[in-house]
Amino acid sequence: MLSRFIRSRENANFANFTNCLFYKFVELVRFVKFALKKQRGCHSVYCTYCFPILFCLLFSSIEAAGQEQVSMFTVDAGYASIHDSYLTPITYDGLDLALGYETVRPLKARPETWLWQLQVGADYNHVENPAKNNDLDKLMGDITFGMQRQWRQLVAHRVDVSVGPMTQLRAGIVYNEVNSNNPVSVRAHWNVGATAMAAWHTRLLRKPITLRYQMQLPVAGVFFAPEYDESYYEIYLGNHKNLAHLSWWGNRFDMTNYLGVDLHMGKTTLRIGYRNRLEHWTVNHLKVHDFTHSLVLGIGH
Amino acid sequence: MLSRYIPIGANTNYADFTKYLLLKFVEFVKLAFKTGRGCHSIYCTYFLLFLCSIAVVGCAEKDEFERDQVGNFEALWSIMDEHYAFFDYKGVDWNEVHQRYRTRVSNEMTDRELFDICGDMLKELRDGHTNLIASHDVSRYWIWEQWPVNYDERLIDQHYLNFDYKRASGIKYQILPSNFGYMYYGSFSSSIGEGNLDLILSYLSTADGLIIDVRDNGGGLLTNVEKLVSRFIDQRTLAGYICHKTGPGHNDVSEPYPYYFEPTRNHIHYLKPVVVLASRGSFSATNNFVSIMKSLDQVTVVGDTTGGGCGLPFTSELPNGWRVRFSSCPIMDAQGRLTEFGVAPDVRIDMDLDDRTHDAILDRAIDILTAATRP
Repeated sequence: MLSRFIRSRENANFANFTNCLFYKFVELVRFVKFALKKQRGCHSVYCTYCFPILFCLLFSSIEAAGQEQVSMFTVDAGYASIHDSYLTPITYDGLDLALGYETVRPLKARPETWLWQLQVGADYNHVENPAKNNDLDKLMGDITFGMQRQWRQLVAHRVDVSVGPMTQLRAGIVYNEVNSNNPVSVRAHWNVGATAMAAWHTRLLRKPITLRYQMQLPVAGVFFAPEYDESYYEIYLGNHKNLAHLSWWGNRFDMTNYLGVDLHMGKTTLRIGYRNRLEHWTVNHLKVHDFTHSLVLGIGH
Repeated sequence: MLSRYIPIGANTNYADFTKYLLLKFVEFVKLAFKTGRGCHSIYCTYFLLFLCSIAVVGCAEKDEFERDQVGNFEALWSIMDEHYAFFDYKGVDWNEVHQRYRTRVSNEMTDRELFDICGDMLKELRDGHTNLIASHDVSRYWIWEQWPVNYDERLIDQHYLNFDYKRASGIKYQILPSNFGYMYYGSFSSSIGEGNLDLILSYLSTADGLIIDVRDNGGGLLTNVEKLVSRFIDQRTLAGYICHKTGPGHNDVSEPYPYYFEPTRNHIHYLKPVVVLASRGSFSATNNFVSIMKSLDQVTVVGDTTGGGCGLPFTSELPNGWRVRFSSCPIMDAQGRLTEFGVAPDVRIDMDLDDRTHDAILDRAIDILTAATRP
């Protein structure tokens, strides 16, 4: 039980913690005033009520502040593979770079059991064909918001597991410089799905660390795709027929996995991990199959 | 052991995999809610999901064809088979073409030999938009190379413009001694600025009529066609129809989509009589420009039939890095006709190659404008 509180203290955001303590102290003063008003202000009141309450409030304050809170800037670097049949039937591979910001907070209404997560990012791929005489550039941006039901302190009070819904908006372009009237493939999709996370709080060289795995799995949504050989010039001329498609796992499968460790160094947290991202869809006889494997480095608190 | 849990092989069946993943996910959520506390099965399932996801993410899309000579030939044939838009229109039996050329290809041949065979195969399509592009050569079917050129820039500069002309946005312009404006636009790839066009048309506004010379203009951007045509219309005008392949079948073509051009607002328009000069070298976007201008009441097209090329070209790629360009989106004129083999002029006339001082086509244009403006 004690370790639970101790760990909570280590993970607590100090500002939130002191804030919480202050409010609890105000509550305590109000209680004492109330007791005195009722002419029950004697030592027994303090002994019987105040001190146990003080301790309870103190620990509960730590506990509330000890909900997992993460704000992190990350950089991804690694391998990317892109297959986009609108641009070329050949699979290209090369470099993946990404910048991201992530914040995880307890939900105000249910801080003990629910948390929300916001991720904003941009990624760039520069990939080359197997013949090494052409390359593609892909630039995407995304914003993801999720809420997760959390089961905390499982398995010797060290593991948190959470599952919940998420929604994601992701858009960008893939550019092939040498193509004539199909030089660009526009990517845009909005989806809803599920996200799940498992966090294991432990120590490494006496330093608190958190091992974390998270999967984001869009289930359904809407995405953009032109018809098989439809030119963007025709779309520009006004033919917008059959451009938006409902997505489900039968025509589209996206997934993002993250596995990494957060090293808590006082107020600062360093992150190192691995992330892969898959985007696969087939519609209008077009096929896209992109994936990345990347090293993740991050800093935050 | 791992394959027992991960239904992913070389030929990934995504339907089965997603079904499996869904079942596992539902199972996990149910278990999590039911127990409220962690148990080993939750973590096993979680771990399994992670492994599955790594496996599916790790599956790169395998390219369909080998990188050897036969593989490249087959890739080229398939790309054309699935994407080319005019097989039926041109009466080309592509399977028969495959049989004829496949026997000539072997893995022992050099790249140049393969390139020549592939280039010959593409010429069966009689399409100026179809090219095979390698580092050492570009295969082509430029039929206009075999037709009369019907354009001599030096002759016009010397005997009609007296080497005195203006130039803006890739357009050479001047008012001829007969008081008719003359514009030569050599490539629709040259960007046209609206401000430049205003200045050009403002300068030519005092002329009684205008000659737009697009001979030997091999095409370029269709957006420049729209910019130019918009100066010669005063109401929303049907420019033509456009369609595209909707699938790999030869007849998988969309319904023609009518597209319209609007007159440019707050810019100078030219609505006096216009003659457009065309030749076999007027190809692709220029062919499109001529077909649209021809449908306007005040416009007469003079010269030779245009070079055609009404299919908007797409580009694809072979495993060895060669690129192939082909017609993929047919564009029709305002009457719904394909102009793949060119737009016939209203007045057909060739230049006299022996007369080095007169351009017979330009002379005829001046005659037509004279007749139209000075009866």
